[in-house]
Amino acid sequence: MQKQHNLFWLKLTIAVIATLFAVAASCCLGSSNVTLHEVFKYFSGMKDELPSTVVTIIGRVRVPRVMTAALCGGALASVGCVMQGLFRNPMADPSVLGISSGSALGAAIAIVSGLNIVIIGEGFTGSYIGAIIGAAVTWIMVFMIARSSGEYDTSSTLLAGIAISSIMSAFITVLMTLHMDSMERVYMWMLGTFSSSTVAKMKVLAVVVAVCVPLLIWVSPQIDVLKLGREAALSLGVNQSRALGVTLCLSSVLLAFCVANSGIIGFVGLIIPHIVTFFRVYKARHKLLMCFFVGAFFMVVCDSVAKTIVAPGEMAIGAITSLIGAPYFLWLLAVSRIKAGRKEEKL
Amino acid sequence: MSLERIEAENITVKYGKRTVLDSFTHTFEPHKIHCVLGPNGCGKTTLVKALVSKYASGKDISYVPQNVYGNVALSVYDTVALGRYDKSRFFTGLTSEDKELVDKAVKDMELEALSDRIFDTLSGGEKQRCMTARALAQNTSWTILDEPSSSLDIRHNQLTMKKLESLRDNEGKSFIIVLHDVNTAVRFADSFILMKEGKLIAVREALDEKILSEVFDSPFEQISPRDGTSYFCPL
Repeated sequence: MQKQHNLFWLKLTIAVIATLFAVAASCCLGSSNVTLHEVFKYFSGMKDELPSTVVTIIGRVRVPRVMTAALCGGALASVGCVMQGLFRNPMADPSVLGISSGSALGAAIAIVSGLNIVIIGEGFTGSYIGAIIGAAVTWIMVFMIARSSGEYDTSSTLLAGIAISSIMSAFITVLMTLHMDSMERVYMWMLGTFSSSTVAKMKVLAVVVAVCVPLLIWVSPQIDVLKLGREAALSLGVNQSRALGVTLCLSSVLLAFCVANSGIIGFVGLIIPHIVTFFRVYKARHKLLMCFFVGAFFMVVCDSVAKTIVAPGEMAIGAITSLIGAPYFLWLLAVSRIKAGRKEEKL
Repeated sequence: MSLERIEAENITVKYGKRTVLDSFTHTFEPHKIHCVLGPNGCGKTTLVKALVSKYASGKDISYVPQNVYGNVALSVYDTVALGRYDKSRFFTGLTSEDKELVDKAVKDMELEALSDRIFDTLSGGEKQRCMTARALAQNTSWTILDEPSSSLDIRHNQLTMKKLESLRDNEGKSFIIVLHDVNTAVRFADSFILMKEGKLIAVREALDEKILSEVFDSPFEQISPRDGTSYFCPL
């Protein structure tokens, strides 16, 4: 037992180091040349030794974008991990529950109706408020359906989520058709991109992540306890409805900010928790921590590809996450099957 | 102590218009093994769930569910260790006292060889032993078990029941247990709660052919007593 425990911290350390390295490496990529050496100098506080243009490029362009990608990736993966645990379903994912589309609809309404005004700095605009309201409305709908059957039922909640998701997507389509003039903006934003990241936006996201993710990590052991069923969880002092409410609420806030910031980026929330499971990390808290860093790493890598592959143009990040993530995921799935066959035991 | 007895008073549970449990009233005395018997769909599970929901939050009760949902990707040891979960502690690592209880529960249910296996990959009976071990690790004065031996082989059935018996005798623990096997019940239980169609039919200290036939709608024959206990053969 102890052995497995120690290995977890080793795995986490590797994930953290890989993420930091990916962040530094991604800072080098872009239209003007910045070397890894310069990036290290920038981060180690030796800015004076660098030319001012390099400092500006790194500080104003590269760092906000890379950090936003890392924070979004981490947040989305954590939310996916929480939802899969809560709903005990390997296919649960923020977009399946409709919360992604809900917040996208809210943000789209704000953009189209011209309510996308600056509220605090340039980082917190009307679209954020819209996204949060959209997420909240969806969340309340899902939660009410989840509770209405008395004992909440996983599959009917997921089905309701899928239905709500399609309603929200349909509304976005209607909205875009009615407002042809802003259609392109909404569409580009919905595909997901980090190209418009700014320092202010990054700071807002960083604060939200810094509040919500530790809180999720704090409540995450309850996800394991809930797997025992409502009554057994209750006997351990965990109230199912309350735990569900708190975790879904925190996840929705995280998700709303990610969506308002960079649109709907699918697949990360679904795939990262599974990748982490392949590395034999099982306990909810360990898994959540691991998901955060693996998600951040993955998103930074995908964003690096997105901004270089068709340079000077941009590829939508959602396409890259699927193109890189899905084959890797399928490969892992196949390998685990082969291994399982050879050892004659299922993972 | 507040948990000397569990006093169920007028518990009624309805699913929609269907009454599954009709004003159940009974006082469960401590330091005993209470066995709930009755045909399928008579409200046994509803009853024990209601008891847990009603009394678990303020009292010292652990619960073994009839079946566990899939997707519990935790090792057997970690699953048993969930019994030591304490909401008030941030760090979920086990204290030495916790470890002792978990190790003991794992050993009692003969799960040592499986302790690194992932719960989802266990067989039905192994899962049941794991869930029973988890409840034992909780170390509560009352434990409510919903068919803990329905998938167990004979050896592990006896092992589980004898464990409960020894906990009652040596540590003064109390159990409410839903069983299907009348003879296991006769062998180990102190009191029988007989249910039918959502109603409490009778509470007995000992069973007889007449009441069993009435409850299960199926004839029983008493077999010659052994060690003063009468066993029953369903005909």
